[in-house]
Amino acid sequence: MALTRREFIKVTGLGLAASSLGMLGFGAAGVAQAAAVRPFKLTHATETRNTCTYCSVACGILIYSMGDRAKNARSNIIHIEGDPDHPVNRGTLCPKGTALLDVVHAPTRLKAPRYRPPGGTEFKEVSWDFALDRIAKLMKEDRDKHFIARNAAGTTVNRWTSTGMLAASASSNETAYLTWKVARSLGMVVFDNQARV
Amino acid sequence: MKQAAAPPNAKWTGPAQAGVKSPDPILLADPARRFAATAQRLENLAAGHPMEAWLRFMASLAQAQHAVATTLAPAAAPDPTAVAQAVEARLPPLAADGHRREASWREGLALLLDRIDGSALPPAALAVMAQLRRSDAAAQEKLADQFLRGGLAAADAGAAVYVAAALQVYFTASAARLKAEDLRLLEERGLCPCCGSPPVSGLITASGQAPGTRYLYCSLCSTAWNHVRAVCITCGGTRRLSLQGIEGDAGLVRAETCGECHTYAKVLYQVRDMQADPYADDLASLGLDMLVAEEGFARHAPNPLLLVGETEAATG
Repeated sequence: MALTRREFIKVTGLGLAASSLGMLGFGAAGVAQAAAVRPFKLTHATETRNTCTYCSVACGILIYSMGDRAKNARSNIIHIEGDPDHPVNRGTLCPKGTALLDVVHAPTRLKAPRYRPPGGTEFKEVSWDFALDRIAKLMKEDRDKHFIARNAAGTTVNRWTSTGMLAASASSNETAYLTWKVARSLGMVVFDNQARV
Repeated sequence: MKQAAAPPNAKWTGPAQAGVKSPDPILLADPARRFAATAQRLENLAAGHPMEAWLRFMASLAQAQHAVATTLAPAAAPDPTAVAQAVEARLPPLAADGHRREASWREGLALLLDRIDGSALPPAALAVMAQLRRSDAAAQEKLADQFLRGGLAAADAGAAVYVAAALQVYFTASAARLKAEDLRLLEERGLCPCCGSPPVSGLITASGQAPGTRYLYCSLCSTAWNHVRAVCITCGGTRRLSLQGIEGDAGLVRAETCGECHTYAKVLYQVRDMQADPYADDLASLGLDMLVAEEGFARHAPNPLLLVGETEAATG
Protein backbone atom coordinates (compact mmCIF):
# COMPACT_ATOMS: atom_id res chain seq x y z
CA MET A 1 0.00 0.00 0.00
CA ALA A 2 1.67 3.20 -1.20
CA LEU A 3 0.84 6.70 0.05
CA THR A 4 0.34 9.56 -2.31
CA ARG A 5 -0.04 13.32 -1.95
CA ARG A 6 -1.61 13.77 -5.37
CA GLU A 7 -4.43 11.26 -5.66
CA PHE A 8 -7.98 10.97 -4.36
CA ILE A 9 -8.33 9.76 -0.79
CA LYS A 10 -11.17 8.85 1.50
CA VAL A 11 -10.78 10.02 5.07
CA THR A 12 -12.39 7.54 7.42
CA GLY A 13 -11.95 6.85 11.09
CA LEU A 14 -10.51 3.48 10.19
CA GLY A 15 -8.14 4.97 7.63
CA LEU A 16 -6.78 7.46 10.15
CA ALA A 17 -5.21 4.66 12.19
CA ALA A 18 -2.92 3.92 9.22
CA SER A 19 -2.38 7.61 8.42
CA SER A 20 0.52 9.82 9.42
CA LEU A 21 -1.65 10.90 12.37
CA GLY A 22 -1.90 7.32 13.61
CA MET A 23 1.75 6.54 12.89
CA LEU A 24 2.93 9.43 15.08
CA GLY A 25 0.91 8.28 18.07
CA PHE A 26 -2.11 10.60 17.76
CA GLY A 27 -4.55 7.79 17.03
CA ALA A 28 -6.65 8.78 20.04
CA ALA A 29 -7.24 12.23 18.53
CA GLY A 30 -8.57 10.62 15.35
CA VAL A 31 -10.89 8.36 17.34
CA ALA A 32 -12.14 11.34 19.37
CA GLN A 33 -12.81 13.31 16.19
CA ALA A 34 -14.72 10.43 14.59
CA ALA A 35 -16.85 10.10 17.73
CA ALA A 36 -17.44 13.87 17.92
CA VAL A 37 -18.89 14.17 14.42
CA ARG A 38 -20.92 10.96 14.44
CA PRO A 39 -24.15 12.59 15.82
CA PHE A 40 -24.08 15.34 13.19
CA LYS A 41 -25.72 15.46 9.80
CA LEU A 42 -24.58 17.25 6.67
CA THR A 43 -26.40 20.25 5.22
CA HIS A 44 -26.59 20.61 1.45
CA ALA A 45 -26.66 23.85 -0.46
CA THR A 46 -26.38 24.45 -4.18
CA GLU A 47 -24.67 27.41 -5.82
CA THR A 48 -26.05 28.20 -9.28
CA ARG A 49 -24.86 30.81 -11.80
CA ASN A 50 -27.45 32.96 -13.50
CA THR A 51 -27.94 36.40 -15.03
CA CYS A 52 -29.80 39.22 -13.30
CA THR A 53 -33.20 39.76 -14.90
CA TYR A 54 -33.32 43.53 -14.65
CA CYS A 55 -31.34 45.41 -17.27
CA SER A 56 -28.99 45.34 -20.21
CA VAL A 57 -25.86 45.27 -18.05
CA ALA A 58 -26.61 41.56 -17.48
CA CYS A 59 -24.73 41.14 -14.18
CA GLY A 60 -23.75 37.63 -13.18
CA ILE A 61 -25.39 36.36 -10.00
CA LEU A 62 -24.91 33.33 -7.75
CA ILE A 63 -28.11 31.78 -6.44
CA TYR A 64 -27.96 29.64 -3.30
CA SER A 65 -30.62 27.07 -2.66
CA MET A 66 -31.02 24.60 0.18
CA GLY A 67 -31.58 20.93 -0.52
CA ASP A 68 -29.58 18.46 -2.57
CA ARG A 69 -32.07 18.16 -5.45
CA ALA A 70 -33.16 14.80 -4.09
CA LYS A 71 -36.50 13.56 -5.42
CA ASN A 72 -38.59 14.23 -2.35
CA ALA A 73 -36.80 17.28 -1.04
CA ARG A 74 -38.13 20.77 -1.79
CA SER A 75 -35.45 23.24 -2.85
CA ASN A 76 -35.68 26.75 -1.54
CA ILE A 77 -33.69 29.77 -2.69
CA ILE A 78 -32.04 31.24 0.39
CA HIS A 79 -29.55 33.79 -0.89
CA ILE A 80 -28.57 35.69 -4.05
CA GLU A 81 -25.31 37.59 -4.48
CA GLY A 82 -23.20 39.06 -7.26
CA ASP A 83 -20.96 36.58 -9.04
CA PRO A 84 -17.37 37.60 -8.22
CA ASP A 85 -16.08 35.70 -11.27
CA HIS A 86 -18.38 37.45 -13.74
CA PRO A 87 -16.37 39.90 -15.86
CA VAL A 88 -19.27 42.36 -16.09
CA ASN A 89 -19.87 43.05 -12.41
CA ARG A 90 -17.15 41.14 -10.45
CA GLY A 91 -19.45 40.44 -7.55
CA THR A 92 -21.10 43.85 -7.37
CA LEU A 93 -24.84 44.43 -7.73
CA CYS A 94 -27.02 47.54 -7.88
CA PRO A 95 -29.77 48.01 -5.25
CA LYS A 96 -32.32 46.35 -7.53
CA GLY A 97 -30.11 43.33 -8.09
CA THR A 98 -29.33 43.11 -4.39
CA ALA A 99 -33.05 42.77 -3.69
CA LEU A 100 -33.55 39.91 -6.16
CA LEU A 101 -34.28 37.46 -3.37
CA ASP A 102 -37.42 39.46 -2.50
CA VAL A 103 -38.53 39.25 -6.12
CA VAL A 104 -38.16 35.46 -6.01
CA HIS A 105 -40.26 35.15 -2.86
CA ALA A 106 -42.69 38.04 -3.50
CA PRO A 107 -46.29 37.01 -2.81
CA THR A 108 -47.39 39.21 -5.73
CA ARG A 109 -45.05 37.46 -8.16
CA LEU A 110 -46.77 36.39 -11.39
CA LYS A 111 -46.60 32.60 -11.65
CA ALA A 112 -49.36 31.84 -14.20
CA PRO A 113 -51.09 33.76 -17.02
CA ARG A 114 -54.02 35.89 -15.90
CA TYR A 115 -56.89 37.30 -17.96
CA ARG A 116 -59.29 40.21 -17.58
CA PRO A 117 -61.97 40.12 -20.30
CA PRO A 118 -63.02 43.39 -21.97
CA GLY A 119 -65.38 45.15 -19.58
CA GLY A 120 -64.39 42.83 -16.72
CA THR A 121 -63.19 44.16 -13.38
CA GLU A 122 -60.91 41.40 -12.14
CA PHE A 123 -58.03 39.28 -13.40
CA LYS A 124 -58.55 35.57 -13.15
CA GLU A 125 -55.98 32.83 -13.62
CA VAL A 126 -56.16 31.02 -16.98
CA SER A 127 -54.31 28.16 -18.63
CA TRP A 128 -51.32 28.70 -20.90
CA ASP A 129 -53.32 27.17 -23.76
CA PHE A 130 -56.04 29.78 -23.33
CA ALA A 131 -53.52 32.62 -23.09
CA LEU A 132 -51.49 31.59 -26.12
CA ASP A 133 -54.59 30.95 -28.25
CA ARG A 134 -55.98 34.33 -27.29
CA ILE A 135 -52.70 36.13 -28.09
CA ALA A 136 -52.39 34.32 -31.44
CA LYS A 137 -55.97 35.15 -32.37
CA LEU A 138 -55.61 38.86 -31.56
CA MET A 139 -52.26 39.04 -33.36
CA LYS A 140 -53.72 37.46 -36.48
CA GLU A 141 -56.77 39.75 -36.46
CA ASP A 142 -54.61 42.83 -36.14
CA ARG A 143 -52.10 41.67 -38.74
CA ASP A 144 -54.83 40.82 -41.27
CA LYS A 145 -56.28 44.31 -40.81
CA HIS A 146 -53.13 46.43 -40.82
CA PHE A 147 -50.52 44.51 -42.81
CA ILE A 148 -48.79 46.68 -45.44
CA ALA A 149 -47.63 44.58 -48.38
CA ARG A 150 -46.61 47.45 -50.70
CA ASN A 151 -45.75 51.08 -50.15
CA ALA A 152 -47.05 54.04 -52.17
CA ALA A 153 -44.43 53.47 -54.85
CA GLY A 154 -45.56 49.86 -55.28
CA THR A 155 -42.39 48.32 -53.80
CA THR A 156 -42.93 45.17 -51.72
CA VAL A 157 -42.27 46.02 -48.03
CA ASN A 158 -44.34 43.47 -46.00
CA ARG A 159 -44.63 45.62 -42.87
CA TRP A 160 -46.77 45.12 -39.82
CA THR A 161 -46.49 48.34 -37.87
CA SER A 162 -49.53 48.24 -35.58
CA THR A 163 -48.18 45.63 -33.13
CA GLY A 164 -44.80 45.65 -31.41
CA MET A 165 -42.72 43.31 -29.33
CA LEU A 166 -40.46 43.88 -26.34
CA ALA A 167 -38.03 41.01 -25.74
CA ALA A 168 -36.23 40.00 -22.55
CA SER A 169 -32.86 41.38 -21.43
CA ALA A 170 -31.19 38.24 -20.17
CA SER A 171 -31.64 36.17 -23.32
CA SER A 172 -28.97 33.86 -24.58
CA ASN A 173 -27.74 34.23 -28.16
CA GLU A 174 -30.02 31.38 -29.19
CA THR A 175 -33.09 32.91 -27.55
CA ALA A 176 -32.32 36.26 -29.19
CA TYR A 177 -31.93 34.57 -32.58
CA LEU A 178 -35.29 32.78 -32.28
CA THR A 179 -37.02 35.93 -31.01
CA TRP A 180 -35.71 37.85 -34.01
CA LYS A 181 -36.81 35.15 -36.45
CA VAL A 182 -40.34 34.97 -35.01
CA ALA A 183 -40.89 38.74 -34.86
CA ARG A 184 -39.35 39.58 -38.22
CA SER A 185 -40.99 36.70 -40.10
CA LEU A 186 -44.35 38.21 -39.17
CA GLY A 187 -43.22 41.51 -40.67
CA MET A 188 -43.09 43.15 -37.25
CA VAL A 189 -40.94 46.28 -37.30
CA VAL A 190 -41.74 47.73 -33.86
CA PHE A 191 -39.33 45.44 -32.08
CA ASP A 192 -37.02 46.28 -29.23
CA ASN A 193 -35.29 44.71 -26.32
CA GLN A 194 -35.74 45.22 -22.61
CA ALA A 195 -31.95 45.57 -22.64
CA ARG A 196 -32.31 49.08 -24.07
CA VAL A 197 -35.05 50.30 -21.79
CA MET B 1 -17.17 52.00 -28.51
CA LYS B 2 -17.17 49.99 -31.70
CA GLN B 3 -17.61 46.29 -31.30
CA ALA B 4 -14.32 44.37 -31.19
CA ALA B 5 -12.37 47.62 -30.94
CA ALA B 6 -9.62 47.89 -28.36
CA PRO B 7 -11.08 48.47 -24.88
CA PRO B 8 -10.54 51.90 -23.34
CA ASN B 9 -7.27 51.93 -21.50
CA ALA B 10 -7.57 55.10 -19.48
CA LYS B 11 -6.74 55.18 -15.79
CA TRP B 12 -9.58 54.89 -13.31
CA THR B 13 -10.35 58.36 -12.02
CA GLY B 14 -13.16 57.57 -9.55
CA PRO B 15 -12.77 56.84 -5.84
CA ALA B 16 -10.14 54.20 -5.04
CA GLN B 17 -12.59 51.76 -3.47
CA ALA B 18 -15.01 51.99 -6.41
CA GLY B 19 -14.81 50.45 -9.86
CA VAL B 20 -14.90 46.79 -10.79
CA LYS B 21 -11.49 45.16 -10.52
CA SER B 22 -10.43 41.73 -11.66
CA PRO B 23 -8.69 39.51 -9.09
CA ASP B 24 -4.95 38.87 -9.26
CA PRO B 25 -4.50 35.46 -10.89
CA ILE B 26 -1.57 34.41 -8.68
CA LEU B 27 -0.48 35.44 -5.18
CA LEU B 28 2.93 34.28 -3.97
CA ALA B 29 3.31 33.54 -0.27
CA ASP B 30 5.49 35.54 2.09
CA PRO B 31 7.68 32.89 3.82
CA ALA B 32 8.10 35.18 6.84
CA ARG B 33 4.35 35.16 7.53
CA ARG B 34 2.90 32.00 6.01
CA PHE B 35 3.99 29.49 8.71
CA ALA B 36 3.62 31.86 11.66
CA ALA B 37 0.01 32.53 10.61
CA THR B 38 -0.74 28.82 10.35
CA ALA B 39 0.87 28.14 13.75
CA GLN B 40 -1.12 30.94 15.39
CA ARG B 41 -4.39 29.76 13.85
CA LEU B 42 -3.74 26.13 14.85
CA GLU B 43 -3.14 27.20 18.45
CA ASN B 44 -6.43 29.12 18.42
CA LEU B 45 -8.33 26.20 16.92
CA ALA B 46 -6.80 23.59 19.24
CA ALA B 47 -8.48 24.73 22.46
CA GLY B 48 -11.37 22.40 23.18
CA HIS B 49 -11.04 20.62 19.84
CA PRO B 50 -11.48 16.80 19.79
CA MET B 51 -8.04 16.56 18.16
CA GLU B 52 -6.42 19.08 20.50
CA ALA B 53 -3.19 17.09 21.04
CA TRP B 54 -2.63 16.61 17.34
CA LEU B 55 -3.46 20.23 16.43
CA ARG B 56 -1.01 21.45 19.10
CA PHE B 57 1.64 19.18 17.54
CA MET B 58 0.80 20.62 14.11
CA ALA B 59 1.10 24.11 15.60
CA SER B 60 4.56 23.38 17.00
CA LEU B 61 5.51 21.92 13.63
CA ALA B 62 4.33 25.11 11.88
CA GLN B 63 6.23 27.18 14.48
CA ALA B 64 9.37 25.16 13.67
CA GLN B 65 8.70 25.69 9.94
CA HIS B 66 8.52 29.43 10.64
CA ALA B 67 11.88 29.28 12.43
CA VAL B 68 13.43 27.48 9.46
CA ALA B 69 11.85 29.83 6.91
CA THR B 70 13.18 32.89 8.72
CA THR B 71 16.66 31.68 9.69
CA LEU B 72 17.83 29.51 6.82
CA ALA B 73 19.26 31.31 3.78
CA PRO B 74 16.83 30.87 0.91
CA ALA B 75 17.69 28.75 -2.09
CA ALA B 76 19.29 30.46 -5.08
CA ALA B 77 16.85 32.39 -7.26
CA PRO B 78 15.64 30.25 -10.14
CA ASP B 79 17.14 30.94 -13.57
CA PRO B 80 14.83 33.50 -15.25
CA THR B 81 15.28 31.93 -18.71
CA ALA B 82 14.26 28.50 -17.44
CA VAL B 83 11.25 30.04 -15.70
CA ALA B 84 10.24 31.89 -18.89
CA GLN B 85 10.64 28.71 -20.94
CA ALA B 86 8.49 26.66 -18.57
CA VAL B 87 5.79 29.33 -18.38
CA GLU B 88 5.80 29.62 -22.18
CA ALA B 89 5.20 25.85 -22.41
CA ARG B 90 2.39 26.16 -19.80
CA LEU B 91 4.39 24.07 -17.33
CA PRO B 92 4.99 24.87 -13.66
CA PRO B 93 8.49 26.42 -13.37
CA LEU B 94 9.24 24.76 -10.02
CA ALA B 95 7.62 21.42 -10.93
CA ALA B 96 7.60 19.41 -7.69
CA ASP B 97 8.46 16.13 -9.40
CA GLY B 98 11.08 17.47 -11.82
CA HIS B 99 12.76 20.27 -9.89
CA ARG B 100 16.33 19.54 -8.81
CA ARG B 101 16.41 20.23 -5.08
CA GLU B 102 19.32 21.99 -3.47
CA ALA B 103 20.91 20.16 -0.53
CA SER B 104 19.90 23.07 1.70
CA TRP B 105 16.43 21.55 2.21
CA ARG B 106 18.10 18.85 4.37
CA GLU B 107 19.66 21.54 6.56
CA GLY B 108 16.13 22.83 6.86
CA LEU B 109 14.94 19.37 7.89
CA ALA B 110 17.65 19.10 10.56
CA LEU B 111 16.83 22.57 11.88
CA LEU B 112 13.11 21.74 11.83
CA LEU B 113 13.63 18.60 13.90
CA ASP B 114 15.69 20.59 16.42
CA ARG B 115 13.07 23.31 16.70
CA ILE B 116 10.04 21.11 17.36
CA ASP B 117 9.05 21.25 21.00
CA GLY B 118 9.14 17.56 21.93
CA SER B 119 8.08 17.86 25.56
CA ALA B 120 4.42 16.91 25.01
CA LEU B 121 4.83 14.57 22.06
CA PRO B 122 3.86 10.89 22.09
CA PRO B 123 6.79 8.42 22.03
CA ALA B 124 5.99 7.37 18.46
CA ALA B 125 6.45 10.93 17.16
CA LEU B 126 9.74 11.29 19.05
CA ALA B 127 10.97 7.92 17.77
CA VAL B 128 10.29 8.91 14.17
CA MET B 129 12.15 12.20 14.73
CA ALA B 130 15.14 10.40 16.23
CA GLN B 131 15.19 7.94 13.37
CA LEU B 132 15.07 10.76 10.79
CA ARG B 133 17.95 12.54 12.56
CA ARG B 134 20.08 9.41 12.35
CA SER B 135 19.27 8.73 8.69
CA ASP B 136 21.86 9.70 6.06
CA ALA B 137 21.44 12.12 3.16
CA ALA B 138 20.62 9.38 0.67
CA ALA B 139 17.78 8.06 2.82
CA GLN B 140 16.37 11.56 3.31
CA GLU B 141 16.55 12.32 -0.41
CA LYS B 142 14.83 9.04 -1.13
CA LEU B 143 11.99 9.90 1.26
CA ALA B 144 11.65 13.33 -0.34
CA ASP B 145 11.53 11.83 -3.85
CA GLN B 146 8.93 9.31 -2.77
CA PHE B 147 6.87 12.02 -1.10
CA LEU B 148 7.00 14.31 -4.13
CA ARG B 149 6.62 11.72 -6.89
CA GLY B 150 4.61 8.97 -5.22
CA GLY B 151 5.49 5.50 -4.00
CA LEU B 152 5.85 6.31 -0.33
CA ALA B 153 5.53 3.15 1.76
CA ALA B 154 2.77 3.16 4.37
CA ALA B 155 5.38 2.52 7.07
CA ASP B 156 6.98 5.90 6.24
CA ALA B 157 3.75 7.86 6.77
CA GLY B 158 5.12 9.25 10.04
CA ALA B 159 8.52 10.34 8.71
CA ALA B 160 6.77 11.85 5.69
CA VAL B 161 5.19 14.51 7.92
CA TYR B 162 8.59 16.00 8.84
CA VAL B 163 9.95 15.61 5.31
CA ALA B 164 6.81 17.25 3.89
CA ALA B 165 7.10 20.09 6.41
CA ALA B 166 10.75 20.72 5.45
CA LEU B 167 9.91 20.59 1.73
CA GLN B 168 7.01 23.02 2.25
CA VAL B 169 9.47 25.52 3.69
CA TYR B 170 11.98 24.90 0.89
CA PHE B 171 9.41 25.23 -1.91
CA THR B 172 7.68 28.21 -0.28
CA ALA B 173 11.01 30.05 -0.04
CA SER B 174 11.88 29.12 -3.64
CA ALA B 175 8.48 30.19 -4.97
CA ALA B 176 8.79 33.49 -3.13
CA ARG B 177 11.86 34.27 -5.25
CA LEU B 178 9.68 34.25 -8.39
CA LYS B 179 7.58 37.18 -9.55
CA ALA B 180 3.82 36.65 -9.78
CA GLU B 181 3.65 38.59 -13.06
CA ASP B 182 6.12 36.14 -14.69
CA LEU B 183 3.83 33.20 -13.94
CA ARG B 184 0.75 32.04 -15.75
CA LEU B 185 -2.11 29.80 -14.63
CA LEU B 186 -1.88 26.24 -15.88
CA GLU B 187 -4.46 24.81 -18.22
CA GLU B 188 -5.28 22.39 -15.38
CA ARG B 189 -6.69 25.11 -13.17
CA GLY B 190 -6.84 22.76 -10.20
CA LEU B 191 -3.02 22.56 -9.98
CA CYS B 192 -0.51 25.08 -8.66
CA PRO B 193 0.91 27.34 -11.42
CA CYS B 194 4.22 27.41 -9.57
CA CYS B 195 4.95 23.77 -8.66
CA GLY B 196 2.08 21.76 -10.15
CA SER B 197 0.89 20.38 -6.80
CA PRO B 198 -2.74 20.04 -5.77
CA PRO B 199 -4.14 22.62 -3.33
CA VAL B 200 -5.03 21.95 0.33
CA SER B 201 -8.21 24.01 0.28
CA GLY B 202 -9.80 27.06 -1.26
CA LEU B 203 -10.44 30.38 0.47
CA ILE B 204 -13.27 32.68 -0.58
CA THR B 205 -11.88 36.13 0.15
CA ALA B 206 -13.87 38.76 1.99
CA SER B 207 -11.47 41.68 1.63
CA GLY B 208 -8.95 43.05 -0.83
CA GLN B 209 -9.57 44.32 -4.34
CA ALA B 210 -11.80 41.41 -5.42
CA PRO B 211 -13.77 40.17 -2.42
CA GLY B 212 -15.71 36.95 -2.96
CA THR B 213 -13.22 35.29 -5.30
CA ARG B 214 -11.83 31.85 -4.62
CA TYR B 215 -8.12 31.26 -4.18
CA LEU B 216 -6.72 27.76 -4.01
CA TYR B 217 -3.70 27.36 -1.73
CA CYS B 218 -0.86 25.10 -2.86
CA SER B 219 -0.11 22.18 -0.57
CA LEU B 220 3.63 22.47 -1.27
CA CYS B 221 4.81 25.98 -2.21
CA SER B 222 1.95 27.96 -0.54
CA THR B 223 1.19 29.86 -3.75
CA ALA B 224 -2.44 30.98 -4.05
CA TRP B 225 -4.17 31.09 -7.39
CA ASN B 226 -7.58 32.20 -8.51
CA HIS B 227 -10.11 29.52 -9.43
CA VAL B 228 -13.65 30.25 -10.61
CA ARG B 229 -16.26 29.47 -7.95
CA ALA B 230 -19.05 26.92 -8.36
CA VAL B 231 -16.84 24.81 -10.63
CA CYS B 232 -15.39 21.43 -9.56
CA ILE B 233 -11.62 21.88 -9.25
CA THR B 234 -11.03 18.26 -10.24
CA CYS B 235 -13.23 17.72 -13.31
CA GLY B 236 -14.49 21.23 -14.13
CA GLY B 237 -18.10 20.03 -13.80
CA THR B 238 -20.80 22.47 -12.72
CA ARG B 239 -24.03 20.50 -12.99
CA ARG B 240 -24.04 18.41 -9.83
CA LEU B 241 -22.10 20.49 -7.34
CA SER B 242 -23.25 20.76 -3.78
CA LEU B 243 -21.87 22.64 -0.79
CA GLN B 244 -21.98 20.38 2.23
CA GLY B 245 -21.37 21.48 5.77
CA ILE B 246 -21.91 20.16 9.25
CA GLU B 247 -25.38 21.04 10.54
CA GLY B 248 -25.29 23.89 13.02
CA ASP B 249 -21.65 24.88 12.49
CA ALA B 250 -20.42 28.43 11.94
CA GLY B 251 -20.52 28.09 8.16
CA LEU B 252 -16.77 28.63 7.85
CA VAL B 253 -15.90 25.38 6.06
CA ARG B 254 -17.89 23.72 3.30
CA ALA B 255 -17.05 20.71 1.16
CA GLU B 256 -17.79 21.37 -2.50
CA THR B 257 -18.82 17.92 -3.68
CA CYS B 258 -19.13 17.01 -7.35
CA GLY B 259 -21.70 14.36 -8.26
CA GLU B 260 -20.04 13.90 -11.66
CA CYS B 261 -16.55 12.84 -10.53
CA HIS B 262 -17.49 12.01 -6.91
CA THR B 263 -14.74 14.10 -5.38
CA TYR B 264 -14.79 17.14 -3.15
CA ALA B 265 -12.59 20.06 -2.21
CA LYS B 266 -12.93 22.26 0.85
CA VAL B 267 -13.98 25.87 0.63
CA LEU B 268 -13.36 28.33 3.49
CA TYR B 269 -15.46 31.48 3.78
CA GLN B 270 -13.27 34.28 5.08
CA VAL B 271 -16.39 36.39 5.64
CA ARG B 272 -17.29 34.02 8.52
CA ASP B 273 -13.90 34.37 10.18
CA MET B 274 -11.20 36.75 9.03
CA GLN B 275 -8.56 34.63 10.83
CA ALA B 276 -9.27 31.57 8.66
CA ASP B 277 -6.09 29.94 7.39
CA PRO B 278 -6.32 27.52 4.44
CA TYR B 279 -3.77 25.16 6.02
CA ALA B 280 -4.83 25.22 9.68
CA ASP B 281 -8.58 25.16 9.09
CA ASP B 282 -8.21 22.28 6.65
CA LEU B 283 -6.55 20.16 9.35
CA ALA B 284 -9.02 21.22 12.04
CA SER B 285 -12.06 20.37 9.88
CA LEU B 286 -11.20 16.68 9.57
CA GLY B 287 -14.66 15.84 10.93
CA LEU B 288 -16.22 17.24 7.75
CA ASP B 289 -13.90 15.02 5.68
CA MET B 290 -15.17 11.99 7.61
CA LEU B 291 -18.86 12.82 7.09
CA VAL B 292 -18.41 13.60 3.40
CA ALA B 293 -16.39 10.41 2.89
CA GLU B 294 -19.31 8.45 4.37
CA GLU B 295 -21.49 9.93 1.61
CA GLY B 296 -19.11 8.33 -0.90
CA PHE B 297 -17.02 11.31 -1.94
CA ALA B 298 -13.22 11.18 -2.23
CA ARG B 299 -11.06 14.16 -1.31
CA HIS B 300 -9.27 15.69 -4.34
CA ALA B 301 -5.87 15.22 -2.65
CA PRO B 302 -4.66 14.86 0.93
CA ASN B 303 -3.13 17.54 3.09
CA PRO B 304 0.61 16.66 2.92
CA LEU B 305 0.76 16.73 6.72
CA LEU B 306 -1.97 14.11 6.91
CA LEU B 307 -1.26 11.41 4.36
CA VAL B 308 -3.89 8.71 4.44
CA GLY B 309 -3.36 5.25 3.02
CA GLU B 310 -5.81 3.70 0.61
CA THR B 311 -8.53 2.30 2.79
CA GLU B 312 -10.61 0.83 -0.01
CA ALA B 313 -9.07 -2.57 0.59
CA ALA B 314 -9.56 -2.31 4.35
CA THR B 315 -13.15 -1.08 4.28
CA GLY B 316 -14.23 -3.03 1.22
